[in-house]
Amino acid sequence: MAEVRMTNVKKNYGSVEVIPDLSLTIPDGSFSVLVGPSGCGKSTLLRMIAGLEEVTDGSIHIDGEDVTNAKPSDRGIAMVFQSYALYPHMTVRQNIGFGLKLAKTPKDEIDRRVDEAADILQLGPLLDRKPRQLSGGQRQRVAIGRSIVRKPKVFLFDEPLSNLDAALRTQMRVELAELHAKLGATMVYVTHDQVEAMTMADQIVIMKAGIIQQVGRPMDLYNAPENPFVAGFIGSPKMNLIEGSIASARKSKLVGVRPEHIDVSPDAGEWEGTLRYAEHLGSDTVAYIDSEVAGSVTVRLQGEVAINRGDKVFMTPRAGNIHLFRENGAVERA
Amino acid sequence: MQQGSLWQKWIHDDRLRMIIIFVPPAILVFTVFVMLPMIQAGFFSPWKWSGYGPAPWAFNEATDATFGRWVGERNFDRMFGHSAFQQAVWNSILVIVVSLLIQLPLALMLALMIYRTSRANTIFRLVFFMPYILAEVATGLIFAFALDGNYGLSAWFSQMLGLEEAWFPLAEKPWAFYAILAALVWKYFGFHMMIYIAGLQSISSELLESAEIDGATTWQKAIYIKIPLIWPAITVSIFYSVLGALQVFDLVMPMTAGGPSNSSHTLVSYLYNFGFIRLDVGFGSAVGVFLFVTGVVFALVYRNTVQKGQ
Repeated sequence: MAEVRMTNVKKNYGSVEVIPDLSLTIPDGSFSVLVGPSGCGKSTLLRMIAGLEEVTDGSIHIDGEDVTNAKPSDRGIAMVFQSYALYPHMTVRQNIGFGLKLAKTPKDEIDRRVDEAADILQLGPLLDRKPRQLSGGQRQRVAIGRSIVRKPKVFLFDEPLSNLDAALRTQMRVELAELHAKLGATMVYVTHDQVEAMTMADQIVIMKAGIIQQVGRPMDLYNAPENPFVAGFIGSPKMNLIEGSIASARKSKLVGVRPEHIDVSPDAGEWEGTLRYAEHLGSDTVAYIDSEVAGSVTVRLQGEVAINRGDKVFMTPRAGNIHLFRENGAVERA
Repeated sequence: MQQGSLWQKWIHDDRLRMIIIFVPPAILVFTVFVMLPMIQAGFFSPWKWSGYGPAPWAFNEATDATFGRWVGERNFDRMFGHSAFQQAVWNSILVIVVSLLIQLPLALMLALMIYRTSRANTIFRLVFFMPYILAEVATGLIFAFALDGNYGLSAWFSQMLGLEEAWFPLAEKPWAFYAILAALVWKYFGFHMMIYIAGLQSISSELLESAEIDGATTWQKAIYIKIPLIWPAITVSIFYSVLGALQVFDLVMPMTAGGPSNSSHTLVSYLYNFGFIRLDVGFGSAVGVFLFVTGVVFALVYRNTVQKGQ
């Protein structure tokens, strides 16, 4: 278990600046998720922690030790890759025990630790199979087993669930969260999926163009986004960000209201609009409403709501849940 | 209905159309230029025949003595008992051994060093591959010039060492075939290197990074990850290498023509010398049959053992 501390880390590829200047602390034992759109530098950051990418400038400390220039194997980390990166010519047992074998661990000790990891991940019956004989979810577990067995200080995950189907992804999300609770190790997890971030993280780090936009607990980011990017990134459907007269009436550059924080009425309300399309999900109804004053607005209504294309509706943002993004960068709730 | 359906198939089934258009010419060419000569060689092998006059199967009372005669297995007896043939077999084995122990490891080592994409590696690859592009005869001539004691590298080398007599390796029995082996390695290692490079480039970088995190050194990554993963490519290259070794000819002719004293023949140059040049087509065919059987047996055994399951 260990804290990961990055201080003024920079990364350039030739003349291209990927990470201009980044400082971040990942607390001991936390499950931290780096999230952001493609190309925001989150994977690069993870790979720098792993030692697979050189740091152009700045320093990285793991458990108080400066590992900026250390070899990946000397950092006390383990990494799970998007493609799982299992050795196709080795059995599951050999895959999991490979790192230990290289470290010249005695054979009994390797077997014991592989069995232990297999127990945790329910891989026992699969130990003699080759990766190609496993399903996606099983491969994922083997990749995690390979990490566990090394007893690393820090686990690194690079979009590990993106190759799985939706149902399996949900299941693995729960398994990973349980694993974290069981092992209590520091985990750093990269994803572009904000749902994964919200459901698994103790701490979310939102990045854009190599710059950290906000760091905090999932609900803090949901309730108090510090800028329009974070506001739009966290939450599904996305927060409505409204410009124009509505914003200027509130002395703001932008007004943000989450779809679940807008009430809809057929008779009266603050903004008038016409229903363009409605998604009926059973538990919720997501309505896309065109409004002359507010533009295109998304509203989430609880339960099944009878509403049809072309219906005239009135929307009212709930007090206390309106985010005002001021010209000077300040954010207030109203 | 049958007619209609066949016509319909011709119209709609691209695969069928391709098969009908492209397969017959291939079969025809293969039959005329590969199968028939092979079968013919089998027919010729029990005859003493110069290649002139009627074919052996047309021999009769009138032609017998003039054009040739049935000798049965005696062509094979003569071949196996001939010291030059034994030397040629030994030389061919030597080519295989040198290919497997020197050429392929050298190619693999270089491939591991330069398979990654970079400008310098591209240049190295080009340089190492160059000898393979060169015609065999040209390669043989280059080596023949280089190893000539009068004006080649050998002359310069002899002078440098202060030898009283210039060194003519191609004219000395102990050296001639080693010179051919050197030329063979030089000419073909680039080809095998390219096969390995193609294999190495297809290995996912995440796999190697994963090994790095597991603590693998460069050497361990090669031994435990890269070589096992390109093993199918290696078995293909061994296959080519052994079959190629049985067929070496073009390099031998310009370098030594099998000499001195028939010491540097390979199976094919032996066949050419004692079959064609001496107008002994029956005997040459017997050597050809031996070569063919050896190749087929090797191919079958290899496919069913080393390459099984690939």
